[in-house]
Amino acid sequence: MIDLIVAVLREATPMIYVAMAGVLAQRAGVWNLGLEGLMITGACAAVVLTEQTGSVALGLLGAVVASVILSALLWLVIEKLRANPIIAGLGLTGLGLGGTDLAVQAIYGSEGAVTAPAGIPTLGPGFGPFAVLDLLVVAMPVMVFALWVLLRRTRFGLRLAACGEHPFAARSVGADPARMRLIALLLGGALAGLGGAELSLGGLQIFSVGMTAGRGFMAFAAVIFGAGHPVGATFAALFFALVEYFGIKAQLVFGERAPRDFVLMLPYVATVLGVWISARLRGGVPLSSVEMRDG
Amino acid sequence: MRGRLLAVGRAVAFVALALVLCGAIFEAAGFSAPDMFASILDGAFLSDGALLHDMRWACPLFISATGVVIAFRCGYFNVGTQGQFYLGAIGGATAVALLPGLPAILVIIAALAMGMLFGALWAFWPGWLRIRSGTDEVITTLMGNFIAVLLLVWVTSGPLKDPSGSGQVTASPPVPPAFRISNDGGVSPIILGITVAVGIAAWVLVNRTAFGVLGGLAGRNPVMVTWQGARLSRLGLGAFMLSGGTAGLAGAMEVLGPDGRLVSGFSPAHGFTAVLVGLVANLSISGSVIVALFFGGLASASLYLPVIAGLPSAAIDMINAAIALFITSRAWPSRFRFRRVAR
Repeated sequence: MIDLIVAVLREATPMIYVAMAGVLAQRAGVWNLGLEGLMITGACAAVVLTEQTGSVALGLLGAVVASVILSALLWLVIEKLRANPIIAGLGLTGLGLGGTDLAVQAIYGSEGAVTAPAGIPTLGPGFGPFAVLDLLVVAMPVMVFALWVLLRRTRFGLRLAACGEHPFAARSVGADPARMRLIALLLGGALAGLGGAELSLGGLQIFSVGMTAGRGFMAFAAVIFGAGHPVGATFAALFFALVEYFGIKAQLVFGERAPRDFVLMLPYVATVLGVWISARLRGGVPLSSVEMRDG
Repeated sequence: MRGRLLAVGRAVAFVALALVLCGAIFEAAGFSAPDMFASILDGAFLSDGALLHDMRWACPLFISATGVVIAFRCGYFNVGTQGQFYLGAIGGATAVALLPGLPAILVIIAALAMGMLFGALWAFWPGWLRIRSGTDEVITTLMGNFIAVLLLVWVTSGPLKDPSGSGQVTASPPVPPAFRISNDGGVSPIILGITVAVGIAAWVLVNRTAFGVLGGLAGRNPVMVTWQGARLSRLGLGAFMLSGGTAGLAGAMEVLGPDGRLVSGFSPAHGFTAVLVGLVANLSISGSVIVALFFGGLASASLYLPVIAGLPSAAIDMINAAIALFITSRAWPSRFRFRRVAR
């Protein structure tokens, strides 16, 4: 049981950080499909900088900075050039996936994996079965709670929600929706960068090209499943991680009888189910999808 | 006419902006941007036989892009082209494997039809979830892509595995030469004929039928279309399945044509590029012809770059992505906005 909790926490934490970036953007009225790109950029920057400088702190900082810069670019394109957020987000994802591929090849020559000499510090032997959890995993509940407070209990959070739901009304009380979105996207960029860093530096301390494998999109789905609420999105991400864990377990127990490719599909299928269930429960995208998502 | 010229000018300007951004990133990564662009231009359009290679990639891209245009005009963001393309390829390969004894022409027709059917079915479930319960189709079709990639791995390493094959990439046995619709070069009268036929059919559908016109209106104002008595659900499902069907056709053509077998993970950028073709063409079928040639050139350059110029092919992915980032922009930055001259 404790093994299960530890494994699911480690699997879910990167996705949860990225999902919190999605929650911030969602509240501000932006469907951020660039999360996958932010996550892989964070993962790449963290390992490359740690490998180059030997300092994990610098690696984390680099992940945050790179992801924040990309978020600022997304904001410019959506807000100043009035691009469609969905397509622009997918473009940002492509830029992250291609850019990290290019960067790894530019620095290390051959395409493949980069190994960092050190990872994010873990709790250590004093904590029994929890010893393998690293600091970002431990900080995760605190971060989710802080975000909940920020979004639901502060003036800023309420204004942000107003900007997302009804920009006109928000403007009439003196909030500038464009600026609020910038803040939400930059803050989210920092969180998504940390999520990416946790993915690469937290476990095997390896970055490989395309290693996010849709986790950023799953984090976005967790935001939808969790109704844009930080705690809801966290539980959605935990659910996706649980499905993945059971898939791996099934393979260990049943071996050849659990076909590997179908087991790997489980998290994606769970994501589709999650989005479908939330649409059934809360009513889905209204008819005028284009209008709404152009935000 | 003026509006159309403006749209073309805008598309060109944003593509140029994307190239500038990529150039800056290439420089930052330590590559020489002018060299990079010169190599891409060379590989895409100037080297010997480049135009033939462009056609090889442009034909399937154009066919998938017609489906993208149909779905996006209806207001449905079907970004699952990649998955539908893979399912179509699986369908085509399955038909070839099941019907070995029949005359070639029947097998080819059956394989292409099976590809369309599989592609359409892979678009059907996101369409159904979208229309029945409002499930966001962007997520479901994206997840469908990931599932389709794994399905293709399973098919090529299980049911359709090449018994003599070995090594890292799994693939089906080669398609018998009699059933091929082109050689490895990928340009043949049959492929060109199918591409032209799909283009004409899609153009007529979008511009000259009630389905196309209502679909275009539904993308802008679904409520009005409902009030006029059109069945939105039928319209939407039709758009989804047509767009899946065209992607599936493109996938089956790859198997019977240039690839000659079903290989896991083939043409990984096809779906995203096809969506881009439709968007850069401003969701017009006729515009997609030219745009498909441009992106076909980029696709062939991504094979040319690592081999001839020794540069990473990820550069092409970045150019595509940067174009996606900017292409839907509807405004100029205010400082650069053209002043409207008062008459």
